[in-house]
Amino acid sequence: MTAVAEAAGVSKWYGEVLGLNAFTASFGTGITGLVGPNGAGKSTLFKLLIGQLHANQGTLRLFGENPWNNVPLMRRLGYCPEHNQLYGWLTGQRFVEALLRLDGMSTKKASTAATAALKVVGLSGAAHRPTRTYSRGMRQRAKLAQALAHDPDVLILDEPLSRSDPMARFQILRTISEFAKDGGHVIMSTHVLYEVERITQNIVLIHNGKAIASGDIHAIRALIDEHPHAVRIETSHPRQLAQALARMDHVVSLEVPSEDTLLIRTRKPDAFYKELPGIVADTRLDVRALESPDDSLEAVFRYLVG
Amino acid sequence: MFGEVRAVDDLSVAIPEGAIGLVGPNGAGKTTFLRLLLGLVRPTTGTAKVLGHNIAEGVPVRERIGYMPEHDCLIPDMTGVGLVTFMGRVSGLDADTAISRAHDVLQFVGVEEERYRKIAEYSTGMKQKIKLAQAMVHDPQLYIFDEPTTGLDPRGRTEMLDLVRVIANSPGRNVVLSSHLLPDVETICKYIVILDGGHQIAAGELRQLLSGSADRLRIDVRGDREAFAQRLRETGLEAEATPTGVHVARKPGVEGVIFEIAKALGAEVRYMGREIRSLEEFFLELVERNEAAVSV
Amino acid sequence: MSISLPTYTRREMPLLGRRHRLRAIIVTGLRREFKRPAVIVSTLLGVALIVITSIAILLFAGLFLPGQALDLSFFFVPASNQTVLFFITLMASLVGSALIADDLNSMALTLYLSRPITHADYLVAKAAILAPLISLIAVLPLVLTPFVAALLGLFSWTIALQAIGLAVLLGSLFTAFYTSVTLLLSSLTHRKSYAAAGIFAVTFGLTIPAEILSISISNPALLYASPWEDYLAVARAAFGAPGGQIDWPWALVILLAATLVAASLTYLRMKAVEVVAG
Repeated sequence: MTAVAEAAGVSKWYGEVLGLNAFTASFGTGITGLVGPNGAGKSTLFKLLIGQLHANQGTLRLFGENPWNNVPLMRRLGYCPEHNQLYGWLTGQRFVEALLRLDGMSTKKASTAATAALKVVGLSGAAHRPTRTYSRGMRQRAKLAQALAHDPDVLILDEPLSRSDPMARFQILRTISEFAKDGGHVIMSTHVLYEVERITQNIVLIHNGKAIASGDIHAIRALIDEHPHAVRIETSHPRQLAQALARMDHVVSLEVPSEDTLLIRTRKPDAFYKELPGIVADTRLDVRALESPDDSLEAVFRYLVG
Repeated sequence: MFGEVRAVDDLSVAIPEGAIGLVGPNGAGKTTFLRLLLGLVRPTTGTAKVLGHNIAEGVPVRERIGYMPEHDCLIPDMTGVGLVTFMGRVSGLDADTAISRAHDVLQFVGVEEERYRKIAEYSTGMKQKIKLAQAMVHDPQLYIFDEPTTGLDPRGRTEMLDLVRVIANSPGRNVVLSSHLLPDVETICKYIVILDGGHQIAAGELRQLLSGSADRLRIDVRGDREAFAQRLRETGLEAEATPTGVHVARKPGVEGVIFEIAKALGAEVRYMGREIRSLEEFFLELVERNEAAVSV
Repeated sequence: MSISLPTYTRREMPLLGRRHRLRAIIVTGLRREFKRPAVIVSTLLGVALIVITSIAILLFAGLFLPGQALDLSFFFVPASNQTVLFFITLMASLVGSALIADDLNSMALTLYLSRPITHADYLVAKAAILAPLISLIAVLPLVLTPFVAALLGLFSWTIALQAIGLAVLLGSLFTAFYTSVTLLLSSLTHRKSYAAAGIFAVTFGLTIPAEILSISISNPALLYASPWEDYLAVARAAFGAPGGQIDWPWALVILLAATLVAASLTYLRMKAVEVVAG
């Protein structure tokens, strides 16, 4: 698997203010979620990737090339900035067309491409209204349409979901998923972790300008040793089940918070899940429900960032 | 009516005590509904009562409401504690009580030493906490939260939601939570009102609305899902494999069968529980149906 | 031994009435203004300049104002001092321009109006912050001048008290006009600098052309357009000073009408502002 984007020791300062600090990470194919607290350096990284900023240190590669001052590379990427300001007097259609013309497209081709892109994001109905009449969710979709319209290889989306209503969120997530399914790559940031989780397992966690984790969420979770993995089981005989499970040497604690619940903490979730069906089947204890409250991006974020 | 646009039309909502989620697409009339609750606009026709007071008389209603707006609204050159105290006094607290309450609520929302600094220097998360504190200072019976987690990073979101939850769970305190983030609404609210096009298109106990398929189990299987579903069907159960897991109709003893099969296939069961529709699925379905009905 | 956990619920206590709520806004607002050096300096400078020049003129009346009778009509001199106009305009733009514009800009208006007060309460409170500051220029020096004059024995107390009474009425009229117009301008924009520019425009943009044009086309009726000339006409009548080209009753009506119209427009404008943005 080749990396879409690769950063090695990239640093960016704004005077004394930290943007990125020796950031090293690799963004694989498909969708990658970039998550981190406010001010962690997400937008800085994006601006470096689209060649708007020049790194103070380190090397950054997008499709193996340096994005700084690299116009041909720009044709291969679509960018959706965080802020919601559009040219209010332009209609959605004209807005996307104008940006396509900047790509060097002919008027006619730009018009067709803009219509198609607006259709993809579900804005056809409002394409001929000025963008100042758009709701925030519609603005997000118009921005996504302009990022998509020239058929790029990679989409770079800075908070593409913020402030949109549920319909717009659904539409945007679907558009992103479909773009990725058709072979495109996406790097997106968001504060709403369960929404990233719905479309990808691949994340890069950024904190204080550094990548502190990257890869598959579950794999990252499994690496966090100091927080044993919790599993909650609903059963009518929690104590008997506890007895049976206590034999596993990776189980750190067993708790009975209520008379029909057993809370298990284990250091090796994979081993635990492998052995569990056997134990349940052999002891014939009824297990009505099973869930892990912390096998999620939310939990990973909490453990690593605090 | 706002000019030609009927923002909320023939809306009848009875909102019970507790935590209520207010959900709807943009332009559904949520904002107008909140304005009505606050007594800031009067209904063209019809009446409403909030906490036993007619909304036509705004002042007594607003004495009992704490409102946390979605947008920035703080006075930048005041200190955190100064603003919260001031707002307490404008709500009718005497000066001493207002200061004492301001410090109490700032402690509650977790604004420590920063409370003596000017709001202009605050981070988004801190501003959001001050917005919450000013809504709490006069200890209202009804809280209105308009997108309380907007702009917050994951840590800030968790903190804010925890605070909202504590308030919602306090006896005698009611919460109206208007949010686009349906999972947030789902974790906090017991009751939900869904608006679209100025009408209420659904309302009720969240659990009831969402438990349309309570008699099915969802199992998250690591391994061959299709084979797993096939084995379940062989034992006479109704089962299907989907991207979200294996879904199976609940029958007595089904759980035992599931673990037997998992053992036999060497598959892992990562999740097993009642199949619950998410509020999001329910919402999208409902709005689509409503729009179809309108366009006919 | 006891444990008491912090609580965020209030010990049940009745809320104070609307008057107290308004007072909280006014006191907080005034306290903020009086912390600003610009406000203090312009107040002191304005009052001192008007009082000192008036007393100096009075002491050397024979020199400066030959033929001026030293009776009540003398007090038209401090009232008609151009410094009054300049410092009122300055004060209105320093303080008043921001009063509503800042709340619109920071959207703090939402906070105020989600509290148990009405739109009218909010405006009354804002006016009550601005009016005392403007009256520091419009009333205080006009009251101080007769007082100092009487103390120095230059006037009898009877005349001085009469002059003080008239000064209070006259100053309040001009204060009301400027408060009302300033709040209207401040409510129309999110930027206080626009409102401040508007105040200067109302003052000088109306006064200077009106004065020049009324002379050049010799039509004194144009002077009615200038609030300053209207004020002078009323002041002249009040103190019984001679001269003047326009009728004081009309001037008074114009000032009062403008005040009322500006106040009602401000109220309508505030009602129209959507405070719960969607």
